[in-house]
Amino acid sequence: MARLVPTPSATVGPFFPPHYFGDGDNDLTFVDDKASRAQGERIHIFGRVYEAGRVPRWNTILELWQADANGCFAHPNDPRAGQADPNFMGWGRRWTEDDGYYDFTTVKPGAFLDPLTGKQRAPHINLSVMGSGLMRRLVTTLFFPDEPGNAGDPVYAAIPDPAVASQLVLRPAPGERAPAGVRAYRFDIVLQGEGETPFFID
Amino acid sequence: MSPSPSLPNHFLPYEDAGQPAALVPGYKETLTRNPARPLILRPATLTEITGPTRLARKLPTGIRDLSRKSPNGPRAMGQLILVRGRLLDEDGLPVRGSVIELWHANAAGRYMHPMDAQSPAPLDENFLGSGRVLTDDQGRYEFVTIKPGAYPVPNHPQRWWRPPHIHISVFGDGFMSRLVTQMFFPADPLNDIDLILNAVPSAQGRARMIARQTPMLEMPVLNLVGYEHDIVVRGDRQTPFGK
Repeated sequence: MARLVPTPSATVGPFFPPHYFGDGDNDLTFVDDKASRAQGERIHIFGRVYEAGRVPRWNTILELWQADANGCFAHPNDPRAGQADPNFMGWGRRWTEDDGYYDFTTVKPGAFLDPLTGKQRAPHINLSVMGSGLMRRLVTTLFFPDEPGNAGDPVYAAIPDPAVASQLVLRPAPGERAPAGVRAYRFDIVLQGEGETPFFID
Repeated sequence: MSPSPSLPNHFLPYEDAGQPAALVPGYKETLTRNPARPLILRPATLTEITGPTRLARKLPTGIRDLSRKSPNGPRAMGQLILVRGRLLDEDGLPVRGSVIELWHANAAGRYMHPMDAQSPAPLDENFLGSGRVLTDDQGRYEFVTIKPGAYPVPNHPQRWWRPPHIHISVFGDGFMSRLVTQMFFPADPLNDIDLILNAVPSAQGRARMIARQTPMLEMPVLNLVGYEHDIVVRGDRQTPFGK
């Protein structure tokens, strides 16, 4: 079959409808009903987005995608989809505020044996960054501290410089708005300049 | 364990001439928001070939008439249009049940957004401004709206005007198929000076962002001008898992 070429990407621009950010869209721990929550350790991830010169970048769209607490995806491409947690959304979206602040509530994802690479994937969360000035979205992956599997993870290991790779590890920090008793991690996203976040191309 | 040949892990790399440049001279926001270091190539794993299958349970869909705020309410000013198309993967197979979000300026070229509060163009109280639809079992989508107006980019030294365009955000079948794009209208003279459309180096690439006008006799109704616009996202299922 003749292959089609993907439609070109274009910037989201500054006018993404504010009402597209619904209540609970940045909470991955439920699908329909907040009373039915996903299994696993509930965690809070927060930080700020900066452009060049450490200028806070507001009006940026962040999206997360991750496996559930047992390392399963509720998607037909996952051979273990049948075991996926029915109450785990896996996807979330958040708008950055005036000072670049964002936060998400999720559960810590499980590790899994990846059938494509044959390698063990350490717990991780995929992140997309979209906004004005970004003609294509930027993508990266967040990893967890103190995980012995990070070094052997095929995505973590794709970064040649270990010091750069370690920038993708979440940092335990007191959450500015984390609910009581929920472990919080900070991850600042530096689009350009000193401390620039490593981004991938898929 | 070796990679399973039955998994759809053969994503083609982006064809750069068919995708926009990251840095666009004259579009200054691109210069300070893109990484200075090169992007790092990584292998596709299960995380990249999966994505949310239950989005429509979190994001309300079925908002397919942007030209008015209620089913029998007064219409927004402007030319009524019907935009139809298919969401396809690189094999040309339909992407079913996928959420598509769209938003655009009103007929005067103003967005219903606080960021556009400085625009001298009028608001239109009957214009909905945004919609969200789901592709059907053949990957088709459609929506009714009014043709957006052009508008000048504020304080631009070259007096860059954005041609009429519709923003389209597509989720597709997985993380790698996520796409945000813009749809342009055929033969608009402002297309030639648009920095965003012309950030795509190849003419074929730019053509993939421009809708095709539906012949009038093929339109199902008389009161709408029709446009056809297929959207292709990355990914394929020519060897679907488990088949």
